[in-house]
Amino acid sequence: MGRIVLENVSKSFGDTQVIPPLSLTIEDGEFAVFVGPSGCGKSTLLRLIAGLEEVSGGSIVIDGTEVADVPPAKRGLAMVFQSYALYPHMTVRKNIAFPLRMAKMTQSDIDARVNQAASVLNLNDYLERKPGQLSGGQRQRVAIGRAIVREPSAFLFDEPLSNLDAALRVGMRMEILELHNKLETTMIYVTHDQVEAMTMANKIVVLRAGVIEQVGSPLELYRSPRNKFVASFIGSPKMNIFEGDEAKKHNAHSIGIRPEHIDVVKSNGEWQGTVGVAEHLGSDTFFHIHNTGLSEILTVRAIGDVNLRNGDTIHLNPRADDFHRFDEKGLRIT
Amino acid sequence: MSNRTIPRLLQTPAVLLLLFWMLVPLGMTLFFSFIRYFLNNTRRPEWTSPSIDNWRGFGNYQYVWNQDAFWLAIQNSLLIVCSILFLTVALGIAIAVLINRSFPGRGIVRVLLISPFFVMPAVNAVLWINMLLDPVLGLQGIAVANINDVILGLRDAPLVGGFFSLWPKFEPISFRATQTSAYAVIMMVTWQWTPFAVLIFMTSLQSEDQQQKEAAVLDGAGAWSQFRFLTLPHLGRPIAIVVMIQAIFHLSLYAEIEIVSRGNGNKNLPYYIGELVNNNIGAASATGIFAVILANIVAIFLLRMVGKTLME
Repeated sequence: MGRIVLENVSKSFGDTQVIPPLSLTIEDGEFAVFVGPSGCGKSTLLRLIAGLEEVSGGSIVIDGTEVADVPPAKRGLAMVFQSYALYPHMTVRKNIAFPLRMAKMTQSDIDARVNQAASVLNLNDYLERKPGQLSGGQRQRVAIGRAIVREPSAFLFDEPLSNLDAALRVGMRMEILELHNKLETTMIYVTHDQVEAMTMANKIVVLRAGVIEQVGSPLELYRSPRNKFVASFIGSPKMNIFEGDEAKKHNAHSIGIRPEHIDVVKSNGEWQGTVGVAEHLGSDTFFHIHNTGLSEILTVRAIGDVNLRNGDTIHLNPRADDFHRFDEKGLRIT
Repeated sequence: MSNRTIPRLLQTPAVLLLLFWMLVPLGMTLFFSFIRYFLNNTRRPEWTSPSIDNWRGFGNYQYVWNQDAFWLAIQNSLLIVCSILFLTVALGIAIAVLINRSFPGRGIVRVLLISPFFVMPAVNAVLWINMLLDPVLGLQGIAVANINDVILGLRDAPLVGGFFSLWPKFEPISFRATQTSAYAVIMMVTWQWTPFAVLIFMTSLQSEDQQQKEAAVLDGAGAWSQFRFLTLPHLGRPIAIVVMIQAIFHLSLYAEIEIVSRGNGNKNLPYYIGELVNNNIGAASATGIFAVILANIVAIFLLRMVGKTLME
């Protein structure tokens, strides 16, 4: 079980309100990702749920119990920190066993649970080592191991992959997802990386300045962003958003179109411009195009290697069905 | 070759100076420890000059070894050093943990806490033995006299009077006495050196990882468990450093012992050497060599300890 309900939760530090009243429900077994730019309050929200910060108003209900007066350790949650927060003086075994030891379990129970967690996470060979002797990925696994042994009703991850290098990050992403499939426990995952959010989540919560901008499945957010912020935050490279005559043609204050929804054509394109930077990735080519008369830089994704270089003229056809229209307040027009 | 010669040449003066600085006194002490050498001896005037003709072999060592005062001095040295180490580390950790939390006036409290360290050792000893510990004029004497007065007054009180008339009259303790003078030294040096421990532990506590503590809170660790399993191991290295530096300093305590009781009851190895130096330079030098050996044993023991914590 692990249904987490936030009702009008708010948080202020002194006079500054970092999270205005906010409501959110995370269902049992869901993989929810809080995503947003730095300082948007996503980590604070996680710490409120964990109990590391006290709420200034509203209530948090976990599995039907109001937890305002429940100490962090008794909320049945386990957290994995960005810096792993392993105990440097203890071996991996003792690190993983620590929460069980604090819960005064018997030694045989502790050993059984630690060994089980170690085999799930492939840590059997490292149990007698100290955290300092492990690589970043192994430390991450130990931190997850320490969370698993408690058999929590929900896992909280606070940017757990941001200290890893790119290749390892992709690998750990898959491992965490597999773990979620295996344990079917609620997970809340905080990240600023929209790629992580898109690949991992059942439910993405986009935050800006403590306010929930949109909640939905990854594809919902991609297909129908509720406002300009979500539109430009979700998707890589960013959506092109511009105002002006082209927007007026679509009866909107501003319109957006994703780079992958613009086709490169040989001639007579609806739009044209000159190629600035061209990023040739082999599978795709990203063009940064100037002088289109639409916006300063227009980003376009072409499939495969398109042989256009810096300074060349490029012809483009946007796909008419894939325009996103926004009003003066930046809200989506449907 | 030449690119190695020049740096070596440049280092030579410093190395020579250091060698001279250390080896000459050590060599002279060794030499004196093997000869009969007195500053004043009317019976054998030839012993009053340091000459190889007065060779005594290990005779000085044997003489010192058989003196009860020598063993008493070693015992006192170890008692004083070990007690001070234990007290300063325990108090240092307690105070450092206390003032690591933020409270109004923390900056001033920290400065005040560190100030005993700036008092000169001799001044420290004079202040303590005369103004605080003196059984008549010191704070101790005044406090004991006042407590006695209060109890005396309460004996006439209704109801509780009977209870207080059972109490004895308190006697102030004389800290210049043979039985207590070592404790006076331990007290005053602990007072002076606790700030040093606090300072080192405080800086170390500030480098403690807060996320580890939060993780421990979520893992269900209470305040004591956090201290026992996170803070104390984190302080292992600074504790080793404090112990080592203080051991080196306190093996050579002198001023406090001189001022408290002139070695009565608290004579340590340096003070014993100081007494011998008044006349018997040979025996004093032999004791000096023993002191060097003792200091080395302590240093090796402590270095091992430090090394072990660094390895972990």
